[in-house]
Amino acid sequence: MTDALVVSNVLLWVAVIALAAVVLALVRQIGVLHERVAPAGALMTGGGPRVGEPAPRFVGEDLFGRTVELGSADDSGASTLLLFVSPDCPVCKALLPVVRSIAVQEGPRLRVVLASDGPLEAQRRFAEEHGLRAFPYLVSAELGLAHQVAKLPHAVLIDALGIVRAKGLVNTREHLESLFEAQARGVASIQDYVAAGRERTLRGVG
Amino acid sequence: MQIDPAIALLLRAGGAALFASAALHKLRGFAYFRVALADYRLVPWWASGLAARSVVAAELATAALLASPLARPLGFAAAAGLLTAYSLAIAVNLLRGRSQIDCGCFGPAHRAPLGVSLLARNAVLGSLALLGLAPIAERPLVALDALTAAGGVALLALVYASANRLLENAPHLRALRGGS
Repeated sequence: MTDALVVSNVLLWVAVIALAAVVLALVRQIGVLHERVAPAGALMTGGGPRVGEPAPRFVGEDLFGRTVELGSADDSGASTLLLFVSPDCPVCKALLPVVRSIAVQEGPRLRVVLASDGPLEAQRRFAEEHGLRAFPYLVSAELGLAHQVAKLPHAVLIDALGIVRAKGLVNTREHLESLFEAQARGVASIQDYVAAGRERTLRGVG
Repeated sequence: MQIDPAIALLLRAGGAALFASAALHKLRGFAYFRVALADYRLVPWWASGLAARSVVAAELATAALLASPLARPLGFAAAAGLLTAYSLAIAVNLLRGRSQIDCGCFGPAHRAPLGVSLLARNAVLGSLALLGLAPIAERPLVALDALTAAGGVALLALVYASANRLLENAPHLRALRGGS
């Protein structure tokens, strides 16, 4: 009798664990499906200069007294990544190492310009704390308004001719890289790319 | 109330595995965890590095206490204390209306916003920790108890991982349904 119970108990344990493993696999698959349904990419927010239009011209001094020019042709052929950040935006802080690594990766082909708005003292502390002296750091409400920045961190990729090539809300490295991908592929944003893909599929079916 | 020694063994092994894996997750994505913790706005940014290190250290210590047979009640008390502290941190931010921040529970690859379901998860884990504080009944352990403990830990780990995945999927599902 006891032997029978032991055997049945062992068998049940095996069965229960196998079922739990199946449940976990199913839940993971649901997660993957969710990721496919909602593409990860820099989300474009309405307003501001559109992709393909010239970026608003801006000339001003940054936090460290350096003159910065935006929206004009760059003789060296470098693109500009304009990133709007704020000292009280945690996602921006998490993104800074990524920005630094992208700046190193792209080298002279890319100029990174940070932009923010708010009290100068807090901005200076933020820049010092995160070692941002290497980048031009603009503090200007006017610039944020010109680009109609609604949510941070917001990135705008401007090409060497001063034309906006990609822009959007960037929360992760993937989002930020999607801007460069968008520039390379000549699409405005991930939403455009997905919409174009859908059209392609529909045409293929019809 | 007394608990069976096999159950006590299961709770100890399960608790130690839980806190050890939680600490490892946080260590692997430490920079991210620091930001997520600072996002709770309970400590200023300059202190968040120290706070993040303390959380990881506390989790490792709890895992070690649970794993050592002598420190059993201390380990369960530490586990219940940590879970209560997490729940308080989540509750404070829910009351502040900051439910959109990442909970920081699963590292940068798996994010989940704060919610009542997280509090419920912690309450279940906390009551299991309290159960572990109960005195153990006198009974010699037999070979089958090893299976109960090992199988139980495997089962708890799988169910816990599934529950976390569901918590992580929940916001995506809400977005699909057309909610915020």
